[in-house]
Amino acid sequence: MNDTGYLIAVIFAMGAVTFALRALPFLSARLLRRSPVVQHLGRFLPLAIMVLLLVHSASGAAREHATGPWPELIAIAVTSLLQWYSRNPLLSIVAGTALYVLLRNWH
Amino acid sequence: MSSQQQLSAAPAASLSIFSLTAPVAMGYIPLGMVFGFLFVQAGANWLMALCASVVVYAGAAQYMMIPMVATGMPIGAIALATLLVNLRHIFYGLSLLDTFPRSKLLRWYTAFALTDETYSVLTTLPRDTPPQRMALLALLNQAWWVLGSLLGAIIGAQAQVPLEGLDFVLCSLFAVLAVEQWRARSSPLPLWTALISYAVATVVIPEHALVLAILLSIIVGTVSYKKEQGDE
Repeated sequence: MNDTGYLIAVIFAMGAVTFALRALPFLSARLLRRSPVVQHLGRFLPLAIMVLLLVHSASGAAREHATGPWPELIAIAVTSLLQWYSRNPLLSIVAGTALYVLLRNWH
Repeated sequence: MSSQQQLSAAPAASLSIFSLTAPVAMGYIPLGMVFGFLFVQAGANWLMALCASVVVYAGAAQYMMIPMVATGMPIGAIALATLLVNLRHIFYGLSLLDTFPRSKLLRWYTAFALTDETYSVLTTLPRDTPPQRMALLALLNQAWWVLGSLLGAIIGAQAQVPLEGLDFVLCSLFAVLAVEQWRARSSPLPLWTALISYAVATVVIPEHALVLAILLSIIVGTVSYKKEQGDE
């Protein structure tokens, strides 16, 4: 992690990939517009990927302690319900994280 | 990471650049701080945090990179994961093709800076907005993100975290984004696909479960499209 050369290489690789994705429509607009599979994946993938990132990071957090995944499940449920009803990302994120920190440190 | 709700609630016609970029600032400064803070806590220095937010400028991907670089994952694998996480950005440019700045420099910068939030702000602008204003808005949004990252990195370099579980903020962020994607869903299939793919991937290659699960989801997504077409 302290290897600056590795970090710079990672950062520029990630920057290049991200820029390529964002710039692609301006290079190949007609091709993409005509590909119904690409458009279908564009609707399908965001939900799938967000769920995967959530499950992946939550199971990573659950492996760091031995009490079972309850703090993660409770905090995710509270965050999701808050977001569903309030539509206020900052409120949901701050409240969910604070609850998780409480559950992890005071039980 | 999103303040899209606040943005879409705003009336589009008479908005100044500042009133459009302010809600983004409210999201980007604290979320940038979280990135800078965690990146430095994981062992990087503040200059690398700054560099990442200037060069990569993609929220979820930058959060994702922290555990990846901490475990020294190969650059190719990180690039592939970035590709998959940011794949949705391919579609953002499509609806902006006609209104985007013509000037090469402004055009490529605005494309570079096309995050979820900048995209949603640009799409709320009236169609006759001057291209310089679009580019300025994109630049201001990135400035908030970079500023937040820098602040977070400086704090992270001083502080030792006394509490366990603060990095759960990323889980909360992903939960919020998943809820918003769920609200906008056209079918529940992506949710089930993701859960089952992750379960399968954890059994098959536990150390690369995420990337494998995303690949499985892409396969299911493609097959579900073919099946839809076949049924019609």
